[in-house]
Amino acid sequence: MDYLLDVQDIHTFIGQYHILQGVDVHVPKGSITALLGRNGAGKTTTLKSILGLTPPRQGSVRFAGQELRGLAAFDVAALGIGFVPEHRAIFRDLTVEENLRIAERRKGDYARKQAFIFSLFPDLQRLIGLSGGALSGGQQQMLAIARALVPDNRLLLIDEPSEGLAPVVIEHMMAAIRQLATEATIVLVEQNFLVASQLAETYVIIEEGRSVQAGAMRDLVNDKATIHRYLGAA
Amino acid sequence: MTANLSPSLWRRWRGLLITLAAALLLPFVVGLLEGQPPTAVLANSAGVSKFVQGLAIEVFIFALYALSYDLIFGITGLLSFGHAMFFAVGAYLTGALIKSFGLPLWQTLIWVTFASVLQALLFSVVLPRVKGITFALVTLGMASVFHLMIMSRELGEFTGADVGLQGMIKPDFLNPATERLRLYYVALALLVTMYYLFKRFVDSPTGRVCVAIRENEGRALMLGYNTFRFKLAALLLSSFAAALAGALYAIYQPIISPHIASLGFTVTALLIILIGGVGTLQGALVGALVYRLLDFGLRRYMGESASFVNGLIYVLIVIFLPYGIVGTWRMKSLQLRQGWAKIGDAIPWKPNDGAAR
Repeated sequence: MDYLLDVQDIHTFIGQYHILQGVDVHVPKGSITALLGRNGAGKTTTLKSILGLTPPRQGSVRFAGQELRGLAAFDVAALGIGFVPEHRAIFRDLTVEENLRIAERRKGDYARKQAFIFSLFPDLQRLIGLSGGALSGGQQQMLAIARALVPDNRLLLIDEPSEGLAPVVIEHMMAAIRQLATEATIVLVEQNFLVASQLAETYVIIEEGRSVQAGAMRDLVNDKATIHRYLGAA
Repeated sequence: MTANLSPSLWRRWRGLLITLAAALLLPFVVGLLEGQPPTAVLANSAGVSKFVQGLAIEVFIFALYALSYDLIFGITGLLSFGHAMFFAVGAYLTGALIKSFGLPLWQTLIWVTFASVLQALLFSVVLPRVKGITFALVTLGMASVFHLMIMSRELGEFTGADVGLQGMIKPDFLNPATERLRLYYVALALLVTMYYLFKRFVDSPTGRVCVAIRENEGRALMLGYNTFRFKLAALLLSSFAAALAGALYAIYQPIISPHIASLGFTVTALLIILIGGVGTLQGALVGALVYRLLDFGLRRYMGESASFVNGLIYVLIVIFLPYGIVGTWRMKSLQLRQGWAKIGDAIPWKPNDGAAR
């Protein structure tokens, strides 16, 4: 099968620690894939390894057929990979508009995507002149996702989008992510299994730095034993 | 509603324009207050006006130097402990080229510009490899080597070693003794031009990326920015401004003292922007004014105890104005405007309603 993102047996070290010890992630084009696992399993490191922020020492990361290993993070991003980090990583001292404009890869990106972004997140239009630091947690998360939409990204890596958000905001966020899936392929790291299971079509479970199971989400939802074993949820 | 909160162009610049007008008139106003006619001020006659011009030139030099530090530390987030070297290279090169090689000022300034680019490139060599405190220590190491070089006897012929560089013949048209008023306006024009250039840089997309790098370099990388290029741009501009401030210092001061290459002089820049407000640019101007006037005033009236009181005041400023004078002012005025806006929204009627009826 032809995958948009094909991660094979990557090994990543942070300092002297061997964090990823063989992770495989195969992401079909146009899908939403969830990376699941307990805290500290290596999900975020997997995303960072794909992006080149913590480059893997071994293995292969191919995006649309191109090898990403060895490329700098800014070169990886320039290929059309957007990243929405956890903790609503926006720029607090920049205004909402500046946060969006800074993501332009080509001049005019923001102007072209403005209408789509504001249709997904109408609140942002109202808050356009405020500094990022003045936004609420939910608004910051929306801004972080909106920022990844400004350039023409073919792949979006979203880390813990529901973390610390109120249930009503999570609903809104999920609707937005579903809408995003019509524009780009999505890889999602999500601690909240309920959210992940409602959004993703495929999944990969990472346990102690290794990918231990992968498949269709509809199968996992019915596999209570696996959920309990690896995710601690029932 | 939020769009109304963003200041208009006039509101953004009016404070600076009023300050500029005051600075332009200052020599004549001080002269008039002391009974000196404008013709005497224009003729650079001795008096309080000439003294104040000298003090103001020192403030402009400090302001330009602190402005250059604010760009790399306050805006881009690069903590450098070697910034004094940027200033000292400008000062010593100007002094040595004019004194020992007899170069005219314009040629000297070309060399100073060239040297400022070189030293920024030297600092940038370590940029991709070290960050944070490590970068600060590496830059301190480079500046310390330069400090030792200018203090060395081997180069004493050009630098004056530990005594400092003396006997530089000042350019006639900017001689601080005979043409102080002109030097005052040249220094003011240089400061205003550099401030405007810095402001344009910070407000440009490149400057916004520098702010993003300060906040979180990793995020800027993830957006596809080669952050090294932006940090290098900030270093180049900063080095150029600091070297120009150094050149101005060499022209104004009778002795180029080696302390301007020391860690203490970098701390001076840090202190000035802490007083004024880190990352605000305007803070460098306000901080330089407060720093120099406090130092001058306290030394005049308190003699040896001035340093102690000075230090105490700085500690109090940092404790009670953690965002500096400009930073705190901006924060409080924003809170005030937001408060008024909320009160305005809460009132069911508006003052204009009656008039409309």
